[in-house]
Amino acid sequence: MRAVSALLTCLAGLPATAQTPPMFAEETTSAGIAATFAGEWEEMVGGGVATFDCTGDDNPEVLIAGGVNPAGLWRNESPVGGPLAFVPQLSGLEMTAVSGAYPLDIDSDGIMDVVLLRVGENVVMRGLGQCRFERANEAWGFDGGDAWSTAFSAAWEAGAAFPTLAIGNYIDRAEEAFPWGSCTDNWLHRGGAAGFKAHLALTPSYCALSMLFTDWNRSGTPSLRVSNDREYYKGGQEQLWDVSPGAAPRLYTEADGWERLRIWGMGIASHDVTGDGYPDYFLTSMADSKFQTLKPDAKGPAYADLAWVRGITAHRPYTGGDLRPSTGWHAQFEDVNNDGLADLFVSKGNVWDMPDFAKDDPNNLLVAGGPEGRFVEMGDVAGAGSMQAARGAALADLNGDGMVDLIVVNRNSPAQIWRNVTPDAGGWVQLRLGQPAPNVDAIGAWIEVRAGGAVQRREITSGGGHASGSLGWWHFGIGGASGAEVRVLWPDGTTGPWQAVGAKAFYRLERGAEPKVAAR
Amino acid sequence: MRIGRCLTVLATLGMLGVGAASAQTTGVAPELVVRNWYRLVLELVRHTPTMSPPVASRAMAYIGVSAYETVAAGADDMTSLAGQLNGLTDVPTRETGAVYDEAVALQAALSASVASFFANTGPTGQRAMTAVTDKFGAKVSEGVPADVVARSAAYGRAMAAHIVHWSQGDGGAVVENMGFPYDYTPKEGPQYWVPTSLVRQQQAPLLPQWGNNRPFVMPTGNACPLPAPPEYSEDPGSQFYAEAKEVFDVAANLTDEQKTIARFWSDDPMLSPTPPGHWMSIALQILERDGADVKTHLDVMTRLGIGMSDAFIGCWYSKFEYDLVRPVTYIRRVIDPNWETALITPPFPEYPSGHSTQSGAAATVLTALYGDAYAFSDATHEDDGLAVRDYTSFWDAAEEAGLSRLYGGIHFRAAIERGLDQGRCIGEHTNALKTLVK
Repeated sequence: MRAVSALLTCLAGLPATAQTPPMFAEETTSAGIAATFAGEWEEMVGGGVATFDCTGDDNPEVLIAGGVNPAGLWRNESPVGGPLAFVPQLSGLEMTAVSGAYPLDIDSDGIMDVVLLRVGENVVMRGLGQCRFERANEAWGFDGGDAWSTAFSAAWEAGAAFPTLAIGNYIDRAEEAFPWGSCTDNWLHRGGAAGFKAHLALTPSYCALSMLFTDWNRSGTPSLRVSNDREYYKGGQEQLWDVSPGAAPRLYTEADGWERLRIWGMGIASHDVTGDGYPDYFLTSMADSKFQTLKPDAKGPAYADLAWVRGITAHRPYTGGDLRPSTGWHAQFEDVNNDGLADLFVSKGNVWDMPDFAKDDPNNLLVAGGPEGRFVEMGDVAGAGSMQAARGAALADLNGDGMVDLIVVNRNSPAQIWRNVTPDAGGWVQLRLGQPAPNVDAIGAWIEVRAGGAVQRREITSGGGHASGSLGWWHFGIGGASGAEVRVLWPDGTTGPWQAVGAKAFYRLERGAEPKVAAR
Repeated sequence: MRIGRCLTVLATLGMLGVGAASAQTTGVAPELVVRNWYRLVLELVRHTPTMSPPVASRAMAYIGVSAYETVAAGADDMTSLAGQLNGLTDVPTRETGAVYDEAVALQAALSASVASFFANTGPTGQRAMTAVTDKFGAKVSEGVPADVVARSAAYGRAMAAHIVHWSQGDGGAVVENMGFPYDYTPKEGPQYWVPTSLVRQQQAPLLPQWGNNRPFVMPTGNACPLPAPPEYSEDPGSQFYAEAKEVFDVAANLTDEQKTIARFWSDDPMLSPTPPGHWMSIALQILERDGADVKTHLDVMTRLGIGMSDAFIGCWYSKFEYDLVRPVTYIRRVIDPNWETALITPPFPEYPSGHSTQSGAAATVLTALYGDAYAFSDATHEDDGLAVRDYTSFWDAAEEAGLSRLYGGIHFRAAIERGLDQGRCIGEHTNALKTLVK
């Protein structure tokens, strides 16, 4: 398991340069997006956003869950480097009761599809091109069920034409007086040759609010990490499922080295922050969040919590004077100042009038590169510390200028959008993977970028966060380097060659081909 | 607490209706009202972050008094606690000669008092309280004359208001930041408690002033003082070292049974009904098994609540009097820097053991009610996947609860044994109360 660790640790490093403060300009009122995730009890969780290109211009569109409002898609018309600009797009996605959304090219036809998590029946929507979608549950044999769905992840199992979808479900919403302990089954929809097989119940299920297929031990086969809300389960804990092709899913147990952790699990973000070659996991919760790294010499999935030493407990508001504990939801690692280090965004917001927790709970923007590997809170100075009751979020380059922008979905107040206007940001490359069907976007691959004497590596996943997902360009900051070398470890285990790319450009990395600059 | 049973109660009420339990009741049996609300209380304790064990014990005690007084006002064989409990003045009286429905009055008193003491609970708890108040309330009132419903409900609400008002002056009504001071400077010296957790909120100890609260029945928080713990020493020949070494050695050789015991009595806040809720659950199981009437329910639950609430006050007084270091701190400092505990070390000083003190008080109260050799089974954690455990007596259970803290690596033996002693002393104060005449 640890074979790659030593080499990668040598290659990876934490630049000692001073942090470049990121800067975000809120453009909510001018960007053209008007969306509110609204509702009451059944909308206290969820509130996702998906970003993906459906026009073919390589700029990501934005899909926002609406709760009792219809979901909405906004077409991206932002000029490169200019103000964010969107227009409403009728798409067929305008359903109510949508809690979350994830883009995924399910049928590998090169047109992005969308999975809609709902309070009620989940729906897979086939992309038709030009941002039009149609229901495909019946065509693909997908049983959307009837549950309060709140988590999602996808992976391609070896030999399958269709992906395997994991869907996390929450409380039995029929339970009014005694809902505690009523967590309903999570589902595993395994992909087959032409659609989905009958789903399996991932029993026991503990009210999942985030799921992520991730190759935690670099075995070549991703496992399913599940973050569960302890508010509602009994006898539950965080989970890791072994989902090996052709075998029934199996929970990792204490006998495997798994250590019981019980949190208000709400979101998963993964990134190889420590540079050991393995994914680290940031888990949002109420009060202290967790940041797990695989223990040195671990024989199984045993994790140490580095949230404290890395300065990312994100446990209470850092500004505004409300000293009560925070409530964290979506989390995502992205390099917001292009210095070559992944930073961490965490959306925050009270569940719903919970007086033990902060009401004015600013979103976190924790910038990497502080002393001793610590992150430094810059949400307020960066202008991204909104006090709204946030839920889902996405960091993606919305205007093609090489800096990741930010969109946050709030509960019962309008979604907000910010343009990254960081002065003196470093260089960057953005990469998009491609391979023959199935799995044309190479979910499960790893990208490595070598620049400035350090190696960054990123697992290409679908899922996690809080009800929110992005698929498209993978962004890497490279600081002052004039270029970088990149290579891809494809999902089937094939390691591509190191290939040179220039700074500040978009490259398509097609399997077996030279990097190709994308015209923007 | 088994949700299944609770749902069965609700389902039975909803589907079949429940016959009269007293001459004045044509709706739901009043003991079912008590049971239903206590079951909700145990869930709310688990799901309301403010409800650390001391705070939970306080809430359950006041709720018990509210319910007890509501029924006692109409019962010749129940003595009011007014004048017996510190600061409790005469409670509202009933109209002479008027008819009251006990179930309706209890429903009103409990819904109002639970809403007050669990005002901090989240949206799901609020939704649950509303459901039990409205839907169960409608069932309770079914078939009862409107004037009786109005009179009984008004009386229950008045009683709850009186008890809530009384509670406001005890020092425990306002709990900020879940009981953790925003600023705290540990005392200097190796014998003193230091934070043991990497949870930011827990860098200060829980509720350092709780020992100064007004107790229910014992005169002050220091009414059952403890001798000082063994003198701090890092000398391998010292008693302190020997107690630490015992914790270390036990942890290194834990049997499966000891692991089970540690987990069974772990009773973690926000993951269980907490230690006082665990004992409340035991009492509810016994009352259900015995088919006890409403007066017995209220006598048992109120006495138990009072005893445990006073136990936390007395225990916390001693904890901050001695401010002793936890085993995990000492053992890592002196014996093994990499030592890990089986249970999560609670974020407050070590001596005495809180679970021991309150289990000692609970056993003292329940033994006075049921006798020395009252065997029972405990299914409190069945829903969490922990098997039912059997006990030969309340003290059998209390002593196991105490030892569970040794097995969990979070207490030295002195804190356990003296905690049980302190609980016995505190429980005897409760036993001196005059309540139900049998």
